[in-house]
Amino acid sequence: MNTQKLLGVAGFLFAVFVLVPWGIAASGRWDFYYTLTSVALLSIGAAGVWLTFYIGRINIGQGAYALMGGYVSAVLIMKAGISFWATLPLAGLFCAVISVLIGLPILRLRGVYFAMVTLVLTEVTRLTALALSVTNGAKGITSIPLPGELSLFGLTIVPDFATMQNPKLAFYLLAATLMVLSYAALWRIVNSRLGHLCRSLQQNEELASSIGVNTAYLRVLAYAISSFFGGIAGAVFVAISQSIYPSSFVVTDSVNFMLYCFLGGLGYVFGPMLGTLLLYFGWDLLSIAKQYQLLIYSSAMIALMLAVPNGVLSLLDRKGGRK
Amino acid sequence: MSTILEVKAITKRYGGLTAVNAVSFDVAEGEILSVIGPNGAGKSTLFKLISSFVPATSGEVLFRGAKISDLAPHKVARMGVVRTFQETTIFKSMTVRENIIVAHQLRAKASLLGFFIGSAQARADEEAFGASADDIVDFLGLGAIRDELASNLPQGHLRALGMAIGLATNPTVLLLDEPFAGMNHDETMNMVANVRRLRDERGVTVLLVEHDMPAVMKISDRIVVINFGEKIAEGTPAEIQANPRVIEAYLGSEDAAIGM
Amino acid sequence: MEQILANGLYLGAQYALIALGLTLIFSLMNVLNFAHGQMYVLGGFVTYTFVAQFGLPFIVGLLASAVVLAVVGALIEKFLFRPVIRKSKREESTMLLAAGIAFFLDAVILLVFGEKQRGVPKIVNGVFNWDFRLIMPYDRILIGVLAIAAIVGFILYMQYSRTGRAMRALAQDRVAAQLMGVDVDRYSMIGFALGAMLAGVVGGLLVTITGINLGMGGPTSIKAFMMIMIGGAGVISGAIAGGFILGMMESIGLSVLAVYGDITYLVIFATLMIFLAFRPQGLMGKPWG
Ligand SMILES: Nc1ncnc2c1ncn2[C@@H]1O[C@H](COP(=O)(O)OP(=O)(O)O)[C@@H](O)[C@H]1O
Ligand SMILES: [Mg+2]
Repeated sequence: MNTQKLLGVAGFLFAVFVLVPWGIAASGRWDFYYTLTSVALLSIGAAGVWLTFYIGRINIGQGAYALMGGYVSAVLIMKAGISFWATLPLAGLFCAVISVLIGLPILRLRGVYFAMVTLVLTEVTRLTALALSVTNGAKGITSIPLPGELSLFGLTIVPDFATMQNPKLAFYLLAATLMVLSYAALWRIVNSRLGHLCRSLQQNEELASSIGVNTAYLRVLAYAISSFFGGIAGAVFVAISQSIYPSSFVVTDSVNFMLYCFLGGLGYVFGPMLGTLLLYFGWDLLSIAKQYQLLIYSSAMIALMLAVPNGVLSLLDRKGGRK
Repeated sequence: MSTILEVKAITKRYGGLTAVNAVSFDVAEGEILSVIGPNGAGKSTLFKLISSFVPATSGEVLFRGAKISDLAPHKVARMGVVRTFQETTIFKSMTVRENIIVAHQLRAKASLLGFFIGSAQARADEEAFGASADDIVDFLGLGAIRDELASNLPQGHLRALGMAIGLATNPTVLLLDEPFAGMNHDETMNMVANVRRLRDERGVTVLLVEHDMPAVMKISDRIVVINFGEKIAEGTPAEIQANPRVIEAYLGSEDAAIGM
Repeated sequence: MEQILANGLYLGAQYALIALGLTLIFSLMNVLNFAHGQMYVLGGFVTYTFVAQFGLPFIVGLLASAVVLAVVGALIEKFLFRPVIRKSKREESTMLLAAGIAFFLDAVILLVFGEKQRGVPKIVNGVFNWDFRLIMPYDRILIGVLAIAAIVGFILYMQYSRTGRAMRALAQDRVAAQLMGVDVDRYSMIGFALGAMLAGVVGGLLVTITGINLGMGGPTSIKAFMMIMIGGAGVISGAIAGGFILGMMESIGLSVLAVYGDITYLVIFATLMIFLAFRPQGLMGKPWG
C-alpha cells in the first residue's frame, strides 16, 4: 500500500516536472504553458475552497482573496520596492488575517447563507479596489516588474526572471511547485487529526462542540488557511500578467473555484486539482469552437452533473468501498 | 459524598413558553440520577442548560462550586461535564472507531500544528487515543462493529456509540439523554449494566433522561421529576413511586403510569 | 427628499419582484438559483424582440416574456434539478447545476441576441414634474405601478389560490406537506416556473427604461441574493422587505454618497455584513440550528 502511494506520488511529480515540459517542447505548443500554469494556480485557490467545504461551508468568495493577494503583492513591489519573493508569503498572510476578521462573524452562518455572503464578499473586494487610492482605482497597477532573483545565503535558487530566455517555463515550474506544496499541505491536514476534526465539524457541529472541539476556532483556522491559498495564487497571477485591475478576479472566478471543487469531488483531496484541470483545460481546448465555446462548455458541465452528481472522482468509489 | 453539581433556580424561556421553570437540585459525586417527566416537560432543555448548549434565561449551574452556565459548551465539556444527545448524534461518515478517536479531543496534549507536522507528542497522542478507543469499544462490547461505518448501524448500536463518544472525553459528569430509546429489552439491560459499571469502575457521575421506567427504577440512586418545566418531586425510586403528584402527572399525560 | 423616496420605491418594486422569484425557488426546493439574473436578462430580450423587432405592443412583449420564462423554468426544474436532487449525496450539488445553467443561458443569449445593449422605444412620453421637488418620467411611473401590481397579484395568488396554498405548505414543511398529499414534484415545477416568470417579467419591464445587455445577469443575481439576505431567505415578506430596503438604500446612497465617488454599493455591502453578524437569519427569516 505504502509503496504504491510513493510510486503514485513519484509518477505524478515526474509527469508534472518532466513529462509536461518535454511534451510541450516536442509539440511546440508553448501556449500550453500559460494554460497549465493557470491550472496549477487556480487549483491552489480551489484547494482552499475545498478545505472550507471540508468543514461544511460553501465558499464562493475565493476570488476576493485572490484579488486581495494580487494587490498586496503588486502594491508591496511597486510602492515599497519589496522583492516578489517576499511579497508572496506576505500576500498569503494578509489574506489570512483579513479572513480571520471577516470569518469571525460570517462563519456562524451556514448553508446558502454563508454561500451568499461569500459571494457578496467578492463584489465588496472589487468595489474596495475601485474606491481605494493605494490600488489606483479602475486604472489598476501595471508594468509590474518580473520576479527578481531569489537567493538564500548568497546562493541563487531562482535566477532573475527578466534574464531568462524562457520565463514561461519558469512560471510554470514556480506554479507547479507551489501547487505540489499546497496539496501536500492539504493532504497532510486531511490525514492528520486536524482533518478528522474538520470532518467532525462538517458532519455535526453540535456534537463536535459537545466533545470539546473549539468549533469557532477551527472554522476560522480552516477559513484562514483557505484564504492563504487564495492570496498566494492571486499574487503569482499578478506576477505573470505584470498587472492587476479590480476586475482581475470577479464573481465568476469565485464561482469557478467552487465548481472546480464540486466537479472533482468534495470527498477527495485531489478532487479540486482534477476539477480545475478538466474545466479550465477543457475551456481552453474548446476555444476552437469559437462562438459555441460557452454553449458547449456549459452543456458539458450540466451533462457531467447529471451523470456524476457527486464529482468525477466518485467514479472510483463504484469499484471498491471507500477511498 | 460531596456535591459535584448544583442546579440553582435554572429557567429557560422560548418566547412566551417557559420550557424550564426555576428548577433546582443537587447532584452528589458518583451518583446516578435520573430526570423523568412526560414528553415536552423540559428534560432535554434542562440537559442543554446544564451543558451550556443554550443560555439560561435566569438561574445558574455550578460545577464543583464554579459557575459553568455561561461558558461556551466546549469549555464546559473541557471541565468534565459532557452530554450526549437525545437525537442520536454521531459522525455519520466515520467508522465506530474513528468516531471514538475523534471524540478524544479533550485529551489531546499536542497542538494542531503538532498534529500537522506529526510531532512526537502528536504521535504519542494518536497512539493513546487508539488504545483508549479500543478500550472503550471493549468496555461497551462494540468489538464486532469496530470498523463499521456509523451510518450503517441500527438504532441500538447508535445509542451505544453515542455513549462511547461521551466516554471518550473522559467525563466527570456524563449527561445521557434517553440512552435506551430504540433498544430492545436485552440491549437495554446490557446498557443498564454498562452505566452501572461506568460509575462503579470509572467513578463517573451520571445524569440521565429516560422513559423506560423499569430501567430507570433499576438504575437510579435518585430521581428528579419535572412536569411543565417545573420540578414536582425528588427522591429515591421507592419514594418517587409512592408520590401521588408523580402518579397524577403521569396519569394526566399520554404516557403510561409508572407501571412496573 | 421626495425625489429620493420616489426613486427608492420605483427601484424597490423591481427588486422585490426579482427577490420574490428567487426566494420562492429557494423555499420550495432549497436551491439557490444562480441563474436568476440570466432569467431576468432573457426576459428583457424576449420583450425587446417582440416590441422592437416585431413591432408588437409592449403588453404583448411583456406577456411573451412571462410565458417564455415560465416554460424555461418548468423545463429546467423537470429535466435538470429534479434528477440531480434525487441522485446527489450533498444538496449543495444543485449549486453546480444552477451555475452551469447560468453559463448555459448566457451562452444561449449570446448566440441568439448578441452582446449589444438593446432597448425599446419609450412606451409613454413626458415627465411628471412637481415643482422640481419630484421629477419622474411617466414611463418610470407606469413601470413602477406595473411592478407593484405584479407583487400584489403574486401575494394574492400565494394567499388565496389552491396552488399558492399548496406551495406555501410545501415551503413550510416538506415532509408534512407530502403526508398531507401535496404532489411535491408538481408544485416544485410550478414554483420554479413561477419564480422564473417573475424574473422574466422584471426583465420585460426594465428593458423599456434601462435597456438590457448580456452582462447584466450576474450583478442582478448578486443584488437578488443581497435582498433575500436582508429580508431572510425563503420568506415572502422578507423578499419584499429586502427588495424595497435595497432600492431605498441605493437611491439614498446615490444621492448622498455621490460626492465621495462611486461607493454606494461598498457602503451597502459593508452595512449588510455588519447586519448579518448580528442577525444571521435576516429581518424575517427563521432562526436555524
Ligand atoms: N429551540 C426551541 N425553541 C422553542 N421551543 C423549544 C425549543 N426547544 C424546546 N422547546 C420547547 O420546550 C419544551 C420542552 O422541550 P424538551 O426539553 O425537548 O422536552 P422533553 O425533552 O422533556 O420532551 C417543549 O414544549 C418544546 O416545544
Ligand atoms: Mg427530550
